Amino acid sequence: MRFMVFIKFTEDVGDPPPELVDAMSKAIGGAFADGSMVLTGGLYPLSESTEIRVEQDGLTVVDGPYAEAKEVAGGFAIIDVRDPDEALESARQVAQLHRDHWPAWRGAIEVRRIAGHDDPG
Amino acid sequence: MPGTTTPADGRATPADGFAASAATAAPADATAAAADLTAAAAAAAAAWRHESAHVLATLVRITRDVDLADDLAQEAMLAALQQWPVEGIPANPAAWLVSVAKRRAVDQFRRSATHRRLVERLGETQPGVEHPDPTDQVDRVEDDVLRLVYLACHPVLPADARAALTLRLVCGLTTTEIARAYLVKDATIGQRITRAKRLLVEQGVPFELPDRAERAERLTDVMRVIYLIFNEGYTATSGDAWMRPDLCLEALRLARMLAAMEPTTAEVHGLVALLEIQASRTAARVGPDGEPVLLEDQDRARWDGLLIERGQAALGRAEALGQLAGPYVVQAAIAATHARARRAEDTDWTRIARLYNLLARTAPSPIVEVNRAVAHGRAYGPEAGLAVLVPLERDPVLAASHLLPSVRGDLLARAGRPVEAAAAFLDAAALTRNESERRLLRRRAAELG
Repeated sequence: MRFMVFIKFTEDVGDPPPELVDAMSKAIGGAFADGSMVLTGGLYPLSESTEIRVEQDGLTVVDGPYAEAKEVAGGFAIIDVRDPDEALESARQVAQLHRDHWPAWRGAIEVRRIAGHDDPG
Repeated sequence: MPGTTTPADGRATPADGFAASAATAAPADATAAAADLTAAAAAAAAAWRHESAHVLATLVRITRDVDLADDLAQEAMLAALQQWPVEGIPANPAAWLVSVAKRRAVDQFRRSATHRRLVERLGETQPGVEHPDPTDQVDRVEDDVLRLVYLACHPVLPADARAALTLRLVCGLTTTEIARAYLVKDATIGQRITRAKRLLVEQGVPFELPDRAERAERLTDVMRVIYLIFNEGYTATSGDAWMRPDLCLEALRLARMLAAMEPTTAEVHGLVALLEIQASRTAARVGPDGEPVLLEDQDRARWDGLLIERGQAALGRAEALGQLAGPYVVQAAIAATHARARRAEDTDWTRIARLYNLLARTAPSPIVEVNRAVAHGRAYGPEAGLAVLVPLERDPVLAASHLLPSVRGDLLARAGRPVEAAAAFLDAAALTRNESERRLLRRRAAELG
């Protein structure tokens, strides 16, 4: 089953230390090799994002950043794993790598199941 | 306390026990304790499967004993199930399991070293025999998994044992999980694995990777094991359930893993490509009542685009190596040709017929001939397909199979010979062991009558 994983953090966090970059690329490389990683990427900051909102008066186009946003998705991964426990374990490992290699980092990893091809029925 | 939240700003603090904060709290009652055990068991199982191939491969290398390595791994899992509900799930569950298993391996060796010294003192060992200290080798991982794969698929083992041992050692499945996948009793799989481990010892199978002369043949054996595991999941050979997708997924993972470890052999990428594309049809090839849906009748919107894309990429890697196309590469090319057709009627049957001619030369078999007949029937007309079938009429391999009459029935129906076609479908229905396939064949016969 497939999951969309978001890494969320405040945008003023700065650049990751090289140790984290190394550790992450090693982990991601392994996940690509065994097929559990489908796609991964970083996201440009909210200042370069745009929302198209549907409201009573019609559509409005709003450029970021948005006042209410604190922790935002800064990266994502689509993973293909056996079950939810395995998805959680993958996310936990990513969280642990951040904690080990970037102690000042604060954020969250969100794990969302992708509806679709393997839904029952 | 790690793993709990501070209410100050309502935001979660970085959790040391990310996996399940509930497990770090003291159990209030039996229900909570049971929930902790469940959470710990789930985390342990997930962590284990994530790392099991590496852990077992490492343990097999340092112990040079598959049985002992497997025991150590089980002990580590048991230790986790005892300690985690009480002490909380560790920050890195997989690393915890690895280190416990390694520690026990080292303990084992200390014990056996003591034992060896005792024996030496009694003057019963040969002088001059080197005993490298196994505790020095704990952290060398490269090639370990590959060695484990070759070991589990060794030709001294019977075919069913190779599959069971591979699923157990490389995929990290439990005996119960394997038994469920194969629809047999736990004890059957348990015996298969025990016997396989014993055979490896009795036959003195070396742990080292096969040398270059032997490598190609052994790699073919490994690929065959993976292919058989996939097929066991793809078309159940008996029973009511037509598909068991779990085995397909495990086989797919094994194939990808093998391709990462043996990237210079085109056939390995061909195997990956074949399995990815076959697996892409999983959702489409079973109808609402569990009955099989033939390729041409499948809703192609339900094919898994991601797997098709992966399959085509793997086929591209195989072809880029510029090696003579072997059976997996050719079969993958056939599957990819089907996958490219948006609608069944867009299928490039001429290309498929040519690919089957190639397959019939590189890997001739009665089954390939039957499929070649189907392709020729579509490409050049049903009579051309029937002509390919003629030499197979007396084939002893096909005599007991439903395949020949069901394909002949299809070609006869297309040739406008409904009476002969219906008879062929009924012959096929009498021969198949699969209940849902039998229903499909009977329906086709009835539709003609």
